[in-house]
Amino acid sequence: MANCLSAVFLILSGLIMARPLYAVTLSGQVHSDGKPLPDVVVTLKPLSHDPRLSATAGKPVSWRLDQKGKEFIPHILVIPPGTAVYFPNSDDIQHHVYSFSKAKRFEIKLYKGTPAEPIVFDQPGLVALGCNIHDWMLGYILITETPYFTQTNAEGHWSIDVPAGDYQVSLWHPDALAPDTLPNEIKQIQTAQTLRHSIDLKAWRASGKPPDTLQMQGYIERF
Amino acid sequence: MNSLISKYVGVLRFFCPWVIGLVSSDSHADLFDADFSAFNLNGLLDLRYQYSDSQPGEIENGLGKFRDGGNNSRFLANEAALVLQTRLDWDWSSTLTLKYADHQHTPVDLSEAFLVYRPVSTSAWQFGTRLGMFIPPVSMENIGTAWTSPYSLTSSAINTWVGEELKVFGAEAHIRFQTEGGDRLKWFAAGYANNDTAGVLLAWRGWSLHDYEATLNDQFVLPESLGIQTHLPLQASVTKPFVEVDGRPGYYSGVSIDRPEAYNFRVLYYDNLGNPTALENGQYSWRTQFWSLGLQVHLPWEWIFISQGMSGQTRMGERIQGLFAVDNGFWSASFLISKKMGNQRFSIRHEYFATDENDFLPLDQNEERGHALTINYNLTLAQRHQINFEFTHIDSDRQSRVNLDQQTRQEENLWQIAYRLFF
Repeated sequence: MANCLSAVFLILSGLIMARPLYAVTLSGQVHSDGKPLPDVVVTLKPLSHDPRLSATAGKPVSWRLDQKGKEFIPHILVIPPGTAVYFPNSDDIQHHVYSFSKAKRFEIKLYKGTPAEPIVFDQPGLVALGCNIHDWMLGYILITETPYFTQTNAEGHWSIDVPAGDYQVSLWHPDALAPDTLPNEIKQIQTAQTLRHSIDLKAWRASGKPPDTLQMQGYIERF
Repeated sequence: MNSLISKYVGVLRFFCPWVIGLVSSDSHADLFDADFSAFNLNGLLDLRYQYSDSQPGEIENGLGKFRDGGNNSRFLANEAALVLQTRLDWDWSSTLTLKYADHQHTPVDLSEAFLVYRPVSTSAWQFGTRLGMFIPPVSMENIGTAWTSPYSLTSSAINTWVGEELKVFGAEAHIRFQTEGGDRLKWFAAGYANNDTAGVLLAWRGWSLHDYEATLNDQFVLPESLGIQTHLPLQASVTKPFVEVDGRPGYYSGVSIDRPEAYNFRVLYYDNLGNPTALENGQYSWRTQFWSLGLQVHLPWEWIFISQGMSGQTRMGERIQGLFAVDNGFWSASFLISKKMGNQRFSIRHEYFATDENDFLPLDQNEERGHALTINYNLTLAQRHQINFEFTHIDSDRQSRVNLDQQTRQEENLWQIAYRLFF
């Protein structure tokens, strides 16, 4: 996510810092090809250096990324650095979750139930998850430094309360046709606003879900 | 009988850690993770109605391009298969495919049996291997349970031959490089035995289109009335596809480039390094070499395009003045386009095939050429009940048909309705 601060915005944010902080609601909707797009990650990065804006939200929270029906649930998880993520296994079969992404290289063997030890994601970045047993399984953990992030729901809607200020609003989705050209804009947020965005997706997308017939599920990568 | 037993012993040897583990829980704990008992049983039941307008095929000792094209109208239990996948621990698993099929030499027999070693990797490089009896990775279409295809009932000419004569007993290893974006580049290679007779069917019977895969103890009857045993009196009247004749191992090697849900390209070179003069129990060793290309491209609106090509040569017998007794070049190319509409799928495949010859037995006429069209529609209910409607047309010209008092050029049709249950 490139920083593209202009002098104008720096001055604006300087002026805003003199004011008291108050929460405003920023919301929006993301579409793709006219249809609502769920799971889009929306991050708001404060542009001022006010420590009140960039403070991480309270005490560390632990998250869960479930293995259910031979897929990762949720498909995309957004967390701040330092978050401990538990990987419970709700299936009756074993899963062998791994990642070789630079942000976190790990492997965890999952029997049924929840392992005692979580995985801690310290570095910001994107972690792609796979399962060594079920080759189609695919999931993502996005570790973001900003405390202000959310995801679109099934209707493509998102909403977040932030202190008034200047933010760089960025969108991310793993199936975006050209991730570099996703909306990544600087917004001065003083009052409630609604944003609308559209993302072009790849024609074919790896869903991370099992094949939809038993004929194809019976095939476990032989080659 | 001895070779039959030794074959079973060979297969069992690969599975012995697992077999021992079942017998003795102590040794199981030593060899593999004691908490593991992950069995995964899949299978297939395939019932059909077929109507054909064609010549007698391979199982009727004919030169028709379908397997039993002389049988005009019939209901049949085409196949029943069980695939047992067992996870032995986090890195090791085994796959065992046992099947019954119509006109199978041994009614219930092993089709594939191998151990897979695939340790997890937390780097971009990944290594894996498999050991046992398996089909080389040529087909881009046979990717379903028990080597079935989601696109058609009848395999392409190339994949029909792969199912009939290419099964190797040995070890395959691969090294894979994967980018963070998911693109994969894989190099693979295998060394193997028991594939010395591969090529005989392409030479004497020619290309064929059906969906029968040979099993461990299989044998195929060679076409009669062609004078094969007049020219080569030591040749048995049947070919056994998975025997070792010359004691020399063969190899294949290839590269695969894969962007999941976008495209997959695979190239493979196969050489069984057969000694063309070796003979044992009526089975000659054939020197068979070929290049195989496969391409799969996902297109917009859930269309998929699959193309395969194969070009090679198979030779057998004494070499006199630079010519072998039997020396056939073979090639084929197929083009399939398929569209998925929810639980329905519509596929069309067109393909060409040919063999030529360059040997010193001009009376043994093995050259042919032809093309085929297959149209399939299938509907899958509740993920498991699949209804198929399929039509296949083959137009082929083969010189040796004059020996059977047939026209060399034949146009053959096969209509099929199939119910396939996957579990």
